[in-house]
Amino acid sequence: MPTVRIPTALKYYVDNHSEMDIPASSVTELLAALATRYPSLKFHLLDSDGNLRRHFTVFVNGEHIRDLNGLDIALGPDDKIILLASAAGG
Amino acid sequence: MELTHEEILRYSRHLLIPEVGLRGQEKLKASSALIIGTGGLGSPVALYLAAAGVGRIGLVDYDVVDASNLQRQVIHSTSAVGQLKVESAKRRLLDLNPLIQVDAYNEPFTSSNAIKIAKDYDVLIDCTDNFPTRYLTNDLCVFLGKPNVYGSIYRFDGQASVFFAKEGPCYRCLFPEPPPPGLVPSCAEGGVLGVLSATIGSVQATEALKILLGIGSPLVGKLLLYNALDMSFDFVTLKKNPKCRVCGPNADVTELIDYEDFCGVPSHDHDKGSAGADWDISALDLHSRLDSTPNLLLLDVREPHELVISALRGATNIPLGQLAARLSELDSAREMVVFCKSGTRSTRALELLASAGFKKVENLKGGINAWARDVDASLPIY
Ligand SMILES: [Zn+2]
Repeated sequence: MPTVRIPTALKYYVDNHSEMDIPASSVTELLAALATRYPSLKFHLLDSDGNLRRHFTVFVNGEHIRDLNGLDIALGPDDKIILLASAAGG
Repeated sequence: MELTHEEILRYSRHLLIPEVGLRGQEKLKASSALIIGTGGLGSPVALYLAAAGVGRIGLVDYDVVDASNLQRQVIHSTSAVGQLKVESAKRRLLDLNPLIQVDAYNEPFTSSNAIKIAKDYDVLIDCTDNFPTRYLTNDLCVFLGKPNVYGSIYRFDGQASVFFAKEGPCYRCLFPEPPPPGLVPSCAEGGVLGVLSATIGSVQATEALKILLGIGSPLVGKLLLYNALDMSFDFVTLKKNPKCRVCGPNADVTELIDYEDFCGVPSHDHDKGSAGADWDISALDLHSRLDSTPNLLLLDVREPHELVISALRGATNIPLGQLAARLSELDSAREMVVFCKSGTRSTRALELLASAGFKKVENLKGGINAWARDVDASLPIY
């Protein structure tokens, strides 16, 4: 199952997990599965059209999804997904 | 720029490294770095660059030292509380290394002064605490062709990279748009592990020194993601975004813009604490209202772990993140005053309640910290 790393800012909405295995065959599916499993996460992750909010970005095995096939990229069982949130703190 | 005997002795440990050596140290002496923000990240960055002998260091900040800064902003001392941050930092740097020049800019970094301040520096180091200044610093570096040594921190998570549009991606290639206002908590709201500033700040200082010396491979096209709890360092690859609005081939942002407008938030991370005059109630007014309106509901939207720091008797706690899902627990016919630590989260809760049809809601201006200051001195301010 693909593993996804959750940004600290969102841990609160996913029972404090920082990483979890999610059955999904694409990043789009993975995000939808996360939002279904954790309803209070949905608003923070997806906009009203169901698209990933623009201040998040996704890396699959260390590569930006823009350089892959976008959110539709197919995921295999060993894939490591990083969901990254922008943070301004300094 | 030749070194004096005094400098040769001071920088001896650098001179012994072949990659630095006498020539490298002379380069550092002739170089300059502008540090934007003298807070958590700016503290270690400024201290190490000064110790390393970077000839000219610029510091931009307009804030004063607050007691709540001292947990991580190690350039400032307890005796500096209430003083200008740039003055406090400059004093410390010159005490550490009187052989360098420190220029203090006690002003907000904005589109109108940024070029004037930054144009003569070799490298810019983004140590700010807010999105508008981060986008400003990025765009400025793209336009001036300078490297932007980036770092950001939140709770246990840190990010660092070198955005240098001549050779790789910029900050906008990574994050084309800022978050919707209020969706990403600042360190003032969500907190930060103090020493995280040192981990990320020291990466920024290292990258700045490498750039000034022209050695090693800079963190261009790579983003470091650090997590203190797992002690994990992950590197991900970043390429230029062909659609980048500031460094792409069809860039349409060609000069500095109004970044507060672009981000929809002010360029600082202070809690404003106010939802606007129509919605606010002061701590003193709430105090008398509680006597006249026994049925008044106090809604505390802070996190459970904050309740042990301070609390108001009889208040109902629903953390902001759960509020949307738990509206049915609240009676919209009842008068309600919403509060948090200092008024930022409660303002967001109020917007949410108002959009759900709640009409009799007010915001405790300045949060429970204002209550502690003005009504009940037995409570701590945090
Ligand atoms: Zn760019």
